Amino acid sequence: MRRLIKSVCSVVFAALLLPASAFGAEPIRIGAIYIMSGPFATYGQFARDGIELALEEINGQGGVLGRKLEYLIEDSAGKADVAIQAARKLVYQEKVDVLMGIDSSGVANGLTPVVPELQRPLLITHAATPDVTGKLCNKWVFRNSVNINQHMKAAALLAKDLGNKRWTTIGPDYAFGHQSWEFFQKYLKPMQSDVEFMEPMFPRFGSEDFTPFITRTISAKPDGVLISVWGGDLVNFVRQANNLGFFDQGFDVLFTLGGATEVLTALGDQMPEGIWVGTRYWFLAKDTPRNKKFVEAYHKRYGKYPSYNAQNAYSGVYTIKGAIEKAGTTDPAKIAAAMENLTVDAPTGTYTVRAEDHQALVDGYWGVTKADSSYPIRILDPVRVFPAKQITPPPAENGCKLAG
Amino acid sequence: MAAFIAALLNSLEFGLLLFLIASGLTIVFGVLGILNFAHGALYMLGAYFGYSVLHYVDLPFWAAVIVVPLAVAALAVVIERLTLRPIYGRHPTFGLLLTFALLLILDDAVRLIWGAGYHIVDPPSLLKGTVSILGAVYPRYGFFIIVAAVAIGVAIWLLFTRTRVGKTVRAAAIDRETAEALGINVTALFTLVFAFGAGLAALAGVLAAPIRAIGPSMGERIIIESFIVVVIGGLGSFPGALVGALILGAIHGFGGRWLPELNLILPFLGMAVVLLWRPQGLLGRSA
Repeated sequence: MRRLIKSVCSVVFAALLLPASAFGAEPIRIGAIYIMSGPFATYGQFARDGIELALEEINGQGGVLGRKLEYLIEDSAGKADVAIQAARKLVYQEKVDVLMGIDSSGVANGLTPVVPELQRPLLITHAATPDVTGKLCNKWVFRNSVNINQHMKAAALLAKDLGNKRWTTIGPDYAFGHQSWEFFQKYLKPMQSDVEFMEPMFPRFGSEDFTPFITRTISAKPDGVLISVWGGDLVNFVRQANNLGFFDQGFDVLFTLGGATEVLTALGDQMPEGIWVGTRYWFLAKDTPRNKKFVEAYHKRYGKYPSYNAQNAYSGVYTIKGAIEKAGTTDPAKIAAAMENLTVDAPTGTYTVRAEDHQALVDGYWGVTKADSSYPIRILDPVRVFPAKQITPPPAENGCKLAG
Repeated sequence: MAAFIAALLNSLEFGLLLFLIASGLTIVFGVLGILNFAHGALYMLGAYFGYSVLHYVDLPFWAAVIVVPLAVAALAVVIERLTLRPIYGRHPTFGLLLTFALLLILDDAVRLIWGAGYHIVDPPSLLKGTVSILGAVYPRYGFFIIVAAVAIGVAIWLLFTRTRVGKTVRAAAIDRETAEALGINVTALFTLVFAFGAGLAALAGVLAAPIRAIGPSMGERIIIESFIVVVIGGLGSFPGALVGALILGAIHGFGGRWLPELNLILPFLGMAVVLLWRPQGLLGRSA
């Protein structure tokens, strides 16, 4: 009798423990690491928005391999050591199957060499440093977003068409600012032999006042200025530049990340019209059903238009889904192998993750700012989409040697 | 010539705004002996409150300049009584840890309430646009900052040297026990001074709102620069804060214009030189 009661209790207990859901077995878990605090918290928030929308859609259609797809998010706080700790926690404690994330290039460079120890694929959806698919590349790390090489190749192609003779730059004084200028020169020089590069300027990253650099640039009289200042700094830069007549000087101004929605939203109509701005995804550029559906769903859920970070994270989740389905299993090594040469249909276009260096072949976007009464922010019109093949340098060029 | 004028105006604007912020920090340290890590966060609160008051309540700018510092000062009274009061006279590390914790709490609170995005505030219409001086074009609001900061600085100096309250505060700063023995309510005075310092920070925040993007953790940068200012000028010295801030302003305005490659390290270089040559700061009292 006691044995009967014991076994009945065990069965009931076990039945209570089983999740009563339409999905089979355990959920598949994604561990996300983004900047959730500090001055750049807005990017982590955007990524989260994109991830949650993707999960809602995917789970609404039956999940992945019949299992529910879940995510956990950790704050990298923009620091490599914090991100490494977060990654370890996600893998060893929370037992995630896949990692995604990373806004900061510094963090990406710090985390990438640690990932092989964790034996989980890491899909980078924002950090643009060339090194993670270059000299630091390894078989576990992938990227589905535009990197600095691609972005600056597009900038150089645009510059060639503008045909200016003397170029200078104003960029934040850290890797991103310096490398943007370095690659811009590297790609433009062979295309336009008579181009002259003037002395560059690198104000402190997070500088709140750019007045000295603005006035210095005006008096140097360049023909074109490449500006890689971004985020909150760019908001300050544009307002100060407006006051000092920077945009009336007659030289071409290129804002490499001026098409970011958080900047356009903050500035409103203080963003001048007629400026070339770049971005890693522009929500109005692609007229495809895939993009339109995404933009509509995002706008409906969040009341604003998707930024590049949101789209990148959204398509990142779909990339992970695609890899798991292609592998047919959640074995991390097999997921990583399946991500190579994976093709994903994303709002930004259909892209393939190159096997040689794990960099996805994504398109680049530049456009001219324009007021439009149907939108609360400046839109880009005309938009120039730079096809991935045109702007992605061959793998041999970036020093990635993936172990066989 | 125009370049020099522009650099001079930029140095003054940058330096005097920094002076406003740093003066609150140095006064609180001088009187309470607490180095307030959360001072930059109070500046940030001033900017955010200013944004909300201007954006949602639709008050005119001049009203915000009065209302916001008072609101932040009131909040500071609560903070002081609940958290700082128990730790006066203890080892300095208590103050550092506590104010650092306050900084983290305020940063996250702001992010939770206002979100993580960036906001901007426009200058009042009277102060919009630019002015041309000897060929240099400079925003009208920049002149306003210069004039306002000088006026506020003079008012504070008069407050501390000519009024009874000011002299009482200075007495309590010099020797707490004697002041108490003379019947001065030092506890209430400390609360007042902390609130005053916070109010100053918030006032600087409101004044800065039209010229700085308002975003999360915007106090981070400011607190580092304020520390450099008070270390160069002398911890606890009000005129020292002015000297330190003007030096930093000059480094930014002239250094940024003519030595841009060094703009990252110059302020720290300046601080290192001062610390080596005169560790108590240029106008600080010797230990």
